[in-house]
Amino acid sequence: MARDQRGDRGSFRKYFPPRRKVCRFCQRNLRDIDYKNVDILKRYILERGKISPRRMTGTCAFHQRKLSTAIKRARLLALLPYIEG
Amino acid sequence: MRQYETVFLISPNLEEEETTKIITQISGIISKEKGKLIQEDRWGKRRLAYPIKKFEEAFYVFFHYEGDSNIPFELERRFKQTEAILRFLTVKKETRENVRKKRKGIPAEEEIIAPQEEKFELKEEEEIAVPAKEEEIAVPQDEEKAEEKEEKAEEKEEKAEEKEEEEIAAPAQEEESAVSQGEEKVEKEEEDKEDLNSTETIKEDK
Repeated sequence: MARDQRGDRGSFRKYFPPRRKVCRFCQRNLRDIDYKNVDILKRYILERGKISPRRMTGTCAFHQRKLSTAIKRARLLALLPYIEG
Repeated sequence: MRQYETVFLISPNLEEEETTKIITQISGIISKEKGKLIQEDRWGKRRLAYPIKKFEEAFYVFFHYEGDSNIPFELERRFKQTEAILRFLTVKKETRENVRKKRKGIPAEEEIIAPQEEKFELKEEEEIAVPAKEEEIAVPQDEEKAEEKEEKAEEKEEKAEEKEEEEIAAPAQEEESAVSQGEEKVEKEEEDKEDLNSTETIKEDK
């Protein structure tokens, strides 16, 4: 059953190609990402507390660099966890 | 002269008077070293993401100030001496506006964007797909479709036979749109798995 579903989705893909991801920070035209904005940073960590990769979030290289330093600073101040779960 | 931002966490077991005393001491150092305090921010007691020195919460204080480099040096020396301070962090602040100008940029848009507080709200409204949701959406799709069909079948029976043809045409369109919406959400996150899926389908064909 599970296999059938997956096959089904594969055929859907032909008609609905994956949407192109855009960098959220570029859309807002920001230069810096603040380490105090925990709510935003939280979206960019995985459930284990890891920084989510660019290929998943669509963040551009520039902002991914800013983002990773912001997350690391937030971790130091115990705003975000180093590890979770 | 440069702008700095210093954050420090004070342990939660102190009395209110003692915490305010520490904070006034720190701001005293800044003014003594001829620094200019731009903004002071107290978040109050906040839960820590992980325990520090076996404390589960701490008192957050932010100082945004302008001055020479000896101020953060002096502050950090003091922080190390004080035992009630759990953590501290000093960051150089950019004095420029937090707007990135692109080489081939669109100047009109840059003016619209307001400072940090607004961007914060805007971000929340946006939908950012979370990996956890992906599976929830992905699996029940087929089941939902089946349910929808059943419901529509019942409706048709109840209504007059004359209108049957029209109704069949209309729900079919709805179904398509619903599916496509669901698909879009899923596919945001699924690009990575695409390769896996395609290989599996090939196997099935064989």
